[in-house]
Amino acid sequence: FIGGGEVYAAEVERLVRSTCSPNCTGACGFKARVTNGRISTLIQAADYPEDSYNPRGCLRGLSMTDLIYGRDRLKYPLIRTGERGSGEFRRASWDEALDYAAGRLKEITGKYGPEAIGATIQVPGTGYVQKGALVALAGLARWTMHHGYDQNGDLPMFWPMTFGVQSEELESLEWINARTTMIFGSNVIQTRLPDAHHLLEAKRRGRVVVVDPDFCSTAAKADEWLPIKADTDAALALGMARIIIERKLYDAEFLRDFTDFPILVRQDNGKRLLAGEVADLAMEASTRNVPEYRRLFVISSGGVLRILDPENLAATGAELEGEFEVRLADGSSVKVHTVLTALKKVLADYDLDTVATITGLEAGQIERVAVDAATNTPIHIIYGASNYQWYNGDLKGRALSLLPVLTGSIGKSGAGISTYAGQYRIRFDLKSWWFPEGSQLNWVAYLHFLQGKGPNYPQHGIKAMVGAWGNPFDQHNMSNILKDRAASGELEFIMTTDFQMTTSCLWSDVVFPAPSWYEKHDLTATILHPYLQLQQPAIKPLFESRSELWIFRELAKRLNPEFEQHFFPELDDNEAALEVIEMLLANGGMETAGITLAMLQKGPVRLHSPAPGDRQVPFYEQVAHRKPFPPLSYPAPIKATGQFLRSGRIEFYKDEDLFITEGEQLPVHKETYADTEYKVNPQNRGRYTLRFVTKNSLYRVHSTHSNNSILLELQDNKAKVFLNPAEAAARGIVSGDLVQIHNDRGRTRAYAVLDPGCSAGTAIFEEGWWSRYLGGEGYNSLTFPWIKPLHEIYFVPGMWSPTTVWNECLVDVRRMSA
Amino acid sequence: MKMGMVIDLEKCIGCRSCMVACKQHNAQPPQTWWNRVFTPGSHRHLTPPAKGVEFFLPVHCQHCENAPCEKVCPVGATYHAEDGAVLIDYERCIGCRYCMSACPYGVRQFNWEDPAKAHQRSEYQEQYHYGYPEDHRHEGRLVYMPLRPKGIVEKCTFCAQYRDKGELPACVRGCPGKARFVGDLDDPASEVSTMMKGRNAFTLLPEKGTKPTVFYLPPKAKEV
Repeated sequence: FIGGGEVYAAEVERLVRSTCSPNCTGACGFKARVTNGRISTLIQAADYPEDSYNPRGCLRGLSMTDLIYGRDRLKYPLIRTGERGSGEFRRASWDEALDYAAGRLKEITGKYGPEAIGATIQVPGTGYVQKGALVALAGLARWTMHHGYDQNGDLPMFWPMTFGVQSEELESLEWINARTTMIFGSNVIQTRLPDAHHLLEAKRRGRVVVVDPDFCSTAAKADEWLPIKADTDAALALGMARIIIERKLYDAEFLRDFTDFPILVRQDNGKRLLAGEVADLAMEASTRNVPEYRRLFVISSGGVLRILDPENLAATGAELEGEFEVRLADGSSVKVHTVLTALKKVLADYDLDTVATITGLEAGQIERVAVDAATNTPIHIIYGASNYQWYNGDLKGRALSLLPVLTGSIGKSGAGISTYAGQYRIRFDLKSWWFPEGSQLNWVAYLHFLQGKGPNYPQHGIKAMVGAWGNPFDQHNMSNILKDRAASGELEFIMTTDFQMTTSCLWSDVVFPAPSWYEKHDLTATILHPYLQLQQPAIKPLFESRSELWIFRELAKRLNPEFEQHFFPELDDNEAALEVIEMLLANGGMETAGITLAMLQKGPVRLHSPAPGDRQVPFYEQVAHRKPFPPLSYPAPIKATGQFLRSGRIEFYKDEDLFITEGEQLPVHKETYADTEYKVNPQNRGRYTLRFVTKNSLYRVHSTHSNNSILLELQDNKAKVFLNPAEAAARGIVSGDLVQIHNDRGRTRAYAVLDPGCSAGTAIFEEGWWSRYLGGEGYNSLTFPWIKPLHEIYFVPGMWSPTTVWNECLVDVRRMSA
Repeated sequence: MKMGMVIDLEKCIGCRSCMVACKQHNAQPPQTWWNRVFTPGSHRHLTPPAKGVEFFLPVHCQHCENAPCEKVCPVGATYHAEDGAVLIDYERCIGCRYCMSACPYGVRQFNWEDPAKAHQRSEYQEQYHYGYPEDHRHEGRLVYMPLRPKGIVEKCTFCAQYRDKGELPACVRGCPGKARFVGDLDDPASEVSTMMKGRNAFTLLPEKGTKPTVFYLPPKAKEV
């Protein structure tokens, strides 16, 4: 048997180590006890070299057998016989189903071109091998691809704007090295279960402050809870930044060397002053050779204007503050000021009293927390999706970044800002498997797909969906766009690969049964603990399920026999997967150097990083070795992401035209819903007064485990909506009532829970329920795919691309029945 | 030797992984839970009783030294093992349920249904059921079966089937918060004994005189 498990004395029983990796991205090592060919129990493997990481795993992973052997398990390939969404299918042979799918895909390619076929894979790190098979096929066939970060809208746009990267985070073992931990809109106690104990350890060693409108479980564990008014975090951060700057609690040397604070900005047009424009520097600038994506900006050092070298972070002695008159090459002169001086002008609007009014917090508390944080560094900020998935979430992230940056809490152990939602960040170079020679993907952001327009949007639209590892018909049917297009026939073909009959499978034309992660080989590397791990088959694929590598290889062969060559056609799919793992490790770059399949078969192996001890500490190299920002974000080349930070430094000042017209050159606070709900219908002001929060549930990983009978029992088999008791009373709702949540776009249903921790003006719904548990009314019929135009000024898939603003959604609630 | 458990409520994150590990490893059918995690003061788990207050409390058999369940058992099915754990001999239990009414913690549960049938209420594929797959005898007495007979009472055994192999109970192995510890309460140097020092350890319903061997450390510890 292939696999690294311990072999028990009796032949009928053995232990196999695999990796549980749904879209929580936790990637927890589990051991499956296999008895007579069936998994009898699962328990955490607890085999990570740092004992602090043991035991990783939670109730969802522990009850995974409920899904593997559950009633919704897919057994055979299926071809639709009834209306779309009716769930009427007939059993088909693999050959028949694959031939049918290939035929439809060829037909659509012939009619509309290959880019009319849109594929999605969701988080790559949970399975680089099987997911790579679909990416490779899509590239060879020249299909459209929707990046998972775009699809879920988890991308926090402040990252590319400020740090030039896709996203970054500390591994959870590093949390304990922070002296101040501040959490904004993240409920890690319930959503990062295996890592939560590190937060409690951070609390023993320092302070943990939770900023959240609602009294969540993480707030309950914190030293201090700031019950902020929703979506006003930018104002809080700017108020705190003002205190830190006024009291000179900032790290001037760090700001001088690693940020854009000393860069001079023209006061006439708001653009950063270019060396080529300056009379005394133009000549010198013309002789400097810098990469195309960099610019030569100007600083003042010792009273003299100098060119800031974007490729060299050596100390410059630049003045952080000041206003100057500069003679330009054309003979005119212009007034300039430094970015820090410009920031101080913005901060003039954020005095403590104003901030207290905007945020609903007490001025004294804001002041105390700011001073405490700045004098107890390193600061670590956990920036959660319920905070950034708003129209102006980017502004909040940029403002919050000021706190670690001002205090020099970047690139050091226990320091920085982390986002743990989404996590599509690829940990090593995977082009050997993902991007075969001659492959080309047409990347289209998911919101552009939903809106039916935008960069790279195909001429004839998206006519076919090829989906796997996702359930978009529950999780993304924003305003029921997907269901409507499926019902109308605008989507001509829908194909889904899964191991369970999800809502998306129900809406498909062909369904292919795949194995769970205890039935195949794969390679994982995600966040929070930077380990490479294997998924290994404890049991054979159940019923007629086949690995995705096999499915997409078979499809490749049918689409174009030449495509098949990439997928190791001479090997069976298990052997091919192992071959791919070896290829990925050998070509993965410095992160996987020296790591072999044999090592992984013995247990998890830490990825290499530039930081000491291979720790996952973002920007370590930039700060310790003064390397220009940004570091590489796989798989994009540096020229794609380097353009986000033309100065080679952390940038708070953005001067692309749209930033200037929007008044967002520097972070500011903006009113909630003004550009979304209130803009589309001014009457919504006062008509829908509850913000619809779709938080992660303890009992699901998004829509995975929605049908887990063990976990359903723990929730009384009921979807719930959490309401402030006064809000419920005002609507005649008592605990346990079935209520309808509604707005102009859609509706769903849930049972009311009166929650004293829930702030007024809020309806909290635990996301992930399959439609069948909601009377067929998917909860994402309420949401809408708004796009902030600033997110469209560059397009690098999954890096600079529109954030989905799930939280920008107003609803009301009414009682249906007791 | 006196087996005992310490649960650190500061570390307990209320995630109920212990409940699920216990259920899965001990083959509990639908509706049966040997182990439960509550949010005290609240009618619903993970909903705070009031703004600003929330902690969690796991409750399972307290393995009392002075166990009322043992005293009322007319057939000697419930007994103290040599290490202090309270176990049920499934071959002796007659299902009279006196023990269930005697237990002040409400942790004992009755098998109303044929177990194979009970598992199938989840509609698993091909008669699948989960759990430690073999019967287990401790000191010759049948204390674990993957499919318990209809009409008997069951509860937490501190995972007798695992402890007899030198392994920890499933709830301890499965706790991502590292909040649960087992060990020898008689040994002052054991982990469980030392961790209780200076932490105001308490037991549930001490006024009942049951002398539980499950101890709790209060939440909100600050060790700066």
